[in-house]
Amino acid sequence: MAVEIPKSIAALPTSAARFVGKAVNRVEDPQLLTGRTEFIDNVTLPGMLHCAILRSPHAHARITAIDVSAAEQLPGVVAIVTGDDAQRWSQPLTTVPEQWGVHCLAAGKVRYVGEPVVAVAATSRYIAEDALELINVDYEPLPAVVDATTAAAPGTALIFEDHGTNVMMQRVFTWGDVDAAFQGADQVFTETFRWNRLGANPLETFGVISQWDDTDGSLTCRGSFQSQYHMGLGAAATLMLPSNKVRMISQPHGGSFGGKGNMRGTVITALLSRKTGGRPVKWIEDRMEYLAGGAGQSWDRHYEASLACARDGTVLGFKVKLLDDLGATAEGFGAVSAAKPLTAFTGCYAIPVAQYDLTIVATNKLPGSPYRGMGPPPHNWVLEQLMDIAARGLNLDPGEIRRKNYIPPDAFPYTIASGNEYDSGNYAAALDAVLEMGNYAQLRAEQAEARQHGRLLGIGLVNTIEPGVFDWNAYAIVGMPQTGVPEGATVGIDILGKIVAKIGFSLEGQGQYTVITQVLADYFGVELADVRVVYQDSLSAPPHFGPGGSRLGVAITGAVLGAAERVTEKLIAVAARLLQSDPQHVELRDGKIGIKGVPQASMSIAQVAGAMLARSDLLPPGMDPNPEATYVWTAPGRTPADEQGRAKSYLTAANACHLVLVEVDAETGQVQILKYFIADDCGTRLNPANVEGMTQGGVAQGVGAALLEEYVYNEDGQLLTSTYMDYLMPTINEVPMTEKRALCTPSPFTPLGAKGVGEGAMHTTPAAIMCAITDALQPLGLRALEVPASPHRLWTLIKRGATRET
Amino acid sequence: MATRRTIHLTVNGRAYEAEVEPRTTLVDLLRGELALGGTHVGCEHGVCGACTVLWNGKAVRSCIMLAVQADGAELMTVEGLARDGQLHPIQQAFMEEHGLQCGFCTPGFLMSVYELLGRTPNPSDDEIKETLGGHICRCTGYQPIVKAVQSAARKLQAAPAPRGGSGPA
Repeated sequence: MAVEIPKSIAALPTSAARFVGKAVNRVEDPQLLTGRTEFIDNVTLPGMLHCAILRSPHAHARITAIDVSAAEQLPGVVAIVTGDDAQRWSQPLTTVPEQWGVHCLAAGKVRYVGEPVVAVAATSRYIAEDALELINVDYEPLPAVVDATTAAAPGTALIFEDHGTNVMMQRVFTWGDVDAAFQGADQVFTETFRWNRLGANPLETFGVISQWDDTDGSLTCRGSFQSQYHMGLGAAATLMLPSNKVRMISQPHGGSFGGKGNMRGTVITALLSRKTGGRPVKWIEDRMEYLAGGAGQSWDRHYEASLACARDGTVLGFKVKLLDDLGATAEGFGAVSAAKPLTAFTGCYAIPVAQYDLTIVATNKLPGSPYRGMGPPPHNWVLEQLMDIAARGLNLDPGEIRRKNYIPPDAFPYTIASGNEYDSGNYAAALDAVLEMGNYAQLRAEQAEARQHGRLLGIGLVNTIEPGVFDWNAYAIVGMPQTGVPEGATVGIDILGKIVAKIGFSLEGQGQYTVITQVLADYFGVELADVRVVYQDSLSAPPHFGPGGSRLGVAITGAVLGAAERVTEKLIAVAARLLQSDPQHVELRDGKIGIKGVPQASMSIAQVAGAMLARSDLLPPGMDPNPEATYVWTAPGRTPADEQGRAKSYLTAANACHLVLVEVDAETGQVQILKYFIADDCGTRLNPANVEGMTQGGVAQGVGAALLEEYVYNEDGQLLTSTYMDYLMPTINEVPMTEKRALCTPSPFTPLGAKGVGEGAMHTTPAAIMCAITDALQPLGLRALEVPASPHRLWTLIKRGATRET
Repeated sequence: MATRRTIHLTVNGRAYEAEVEPRTTLVDLLRGELALGGTHVGCEHGVCGACTVLWNGKAVRSCIMLAVQADGAELMTVEGLARDGQLHPIQQAFMEEHGLQCGFCTPGFLMSVYELLGRTPNPSDDEIKETLGGHICRCTGYQPIVKAVQSAARKLQAAPAPRGGSGPA
């Protein structure tokens, strides 16, 4: 039966919302602040063993012998598994694109430094690590393929011999008559860009405890799973188990940003548990393992891109050629990041035609994983910096060329060239807001004044679309065929009127449990303390996915509201009977179930639920006596991708405009962020403090991307940035305190008008800083075209003065 | 393994005797044998600050100290902040200012802020920055943490909290 989900806060059954839309304190926080949250490393099970993993020191080598005999003799060692066990008991890991996977432990050869080779289970982690030192592995080194261009060239050593090539995928997607647009243009602006590897680095690494049960051939895994559902399916496929025999229990986890899943660790501990006859085996990835072998490396990209423009600044077409270095295998689902730009290929602009020439190659580096934004952060940088280059070439202000090309507010819903539909937006409003907040004219005057004194001040003014509420169909081009991502919730009222919501994801940091609590408290007219959110494992929860792709705030709001509507239908049926009325005359309003327009004829939800559970004699005949219901929400109106990858995919399109002032020190190459302004529009804000926090957090990660973070491999494929002394995470000394303004264009298509949010600042900040640096370098005629713009890189650019502005 | 050593230490006002290997790190002792799991391990090489505890009143990284170094010491961990189910004013300020998201790094921040405000009840922005500069938070972008520290300083000046397990309050 169809359920009507309220599309605005005003449509909730309350006279005045007390919680939704307000920056209420988070229900998650007391436990987190007192250290009581059960992160995976806080879990201990009876008889539990600890796993340590021996990893490859070579980027590319054949394994000629493995000797574990001495390690097996070490007191405390209980089991050891190698590639032989992995081949006997498991399949290669699942991948996108398909067929580019390997077993969880190297079988025959290793393909990157840090690849797991042997794993030990022992009575303590200390002993397990001692055992690793007693294992001998003989390697016969092979040529390491480190450079993406070389990887694609004929004659290069092959990472997967069976494929006969290192090219995982090569295809050109053309949307509209691109050739005509470029031929008809007054000017074409072309540039190359390089985005180096970086990654998610949540403060908690991945961890898992696996327990195999021989008696019924089942597996239970506890871990810091971003998506227990997704990980469970992968584990079942890899371990050749029926999907209902794999139970995934997701502990609260210390951040993810896409970079948390580690299928190898999950499968390795499962094999170890099987070998021990069913003892639980825990593996906590240490930080050096995370950096070299975890789900923490993303976006190793070489771009060439062009904008076709008319003389007046109208952008007629956009072409992007991307060489994406995915690393040794496709197990990390990093290829999804090459597909996601289709959801907002042309940004905030009404660019009618576009082309995407995409090549994904394998190299002897860690397989790429998702990271916050999933691909648009580099893509949006390329687009926005090209907009600046075009503005300069056409003698236009960066704000004016953008304004000229915005999709106008009355054009929504608007289908972009690459096929996605934007729900709503007002891009000029965001631009106007930051120009006013930062006093743009004065910033330009400040810059001119500084230049007089030889100081390099630069201004970045950059937009983004943040596609929200992800859909698999956006990734069809790399082999994800589904349409729709269901998210379910069960909402129940107990005999005393207290409310419980059951969902299928654990805490990760975005505050979704608080949002659920706010929504249900307002819906049923109760206090926040009257609502409790309860986590359910992968076999207990209704269909679910959890956090990812800026979707959960919208999706879970839809799910709990749908479930609340269904519960309310039951309450109304019962109350109508008890009030001797007809259900169509009874409604829920301000926490009471009563006859419309007759305030004295009403009952509390506790009275009605209590009657359902304790007075069966009073219920209507055939009445389901359970004051609980489940609803599974999925985005409406999604379409399967066509042969060019075009689909209605992500449901919402939030937008933001960032304005930043930086100073580049010509002597040291250091960049200082002097001022930072943000206007962003994500529709209805369910909890404004959550949104503001994620925006600021995205700025921090964007600063890391633009200035600091980089995984560096040498020519032999050795990782040179294997600690936080070398891989530089942004601290308070680098992250600006930003001034933010919230705009609101509600989505017409979503629960309460909310749009997906959480990744947008990561799309915008790197682009804003890079554009500002290039603007600062204007007097020197230089462009900053490589991320991160580290001091050494900028210093070299300035000293060499090679890249002259055209 | 090597001979085990018996050590005596006080944590959050409570005396413990523990038998440890010389190589056992302090954080492993706290989280393991002492079952004080609120102190988290983020990098295990002394950069991120998640494992920060107070050692005789001073903020230290428990991942790069050995348990034997704590013999005879007074320690305080995040578990020592709240009393009788009441959040410490610093914790309260972090909650009100949304100074945490995933909360994994938070115990370390709280201990450094506790040390700072004990020493400097009314810290300048630079002093706050100096203290927070030793911690990595991947979620918040630091801005709400700065607000939380400022708010905590105001709260503590208005009504000093009872002493925690050790060190200044």
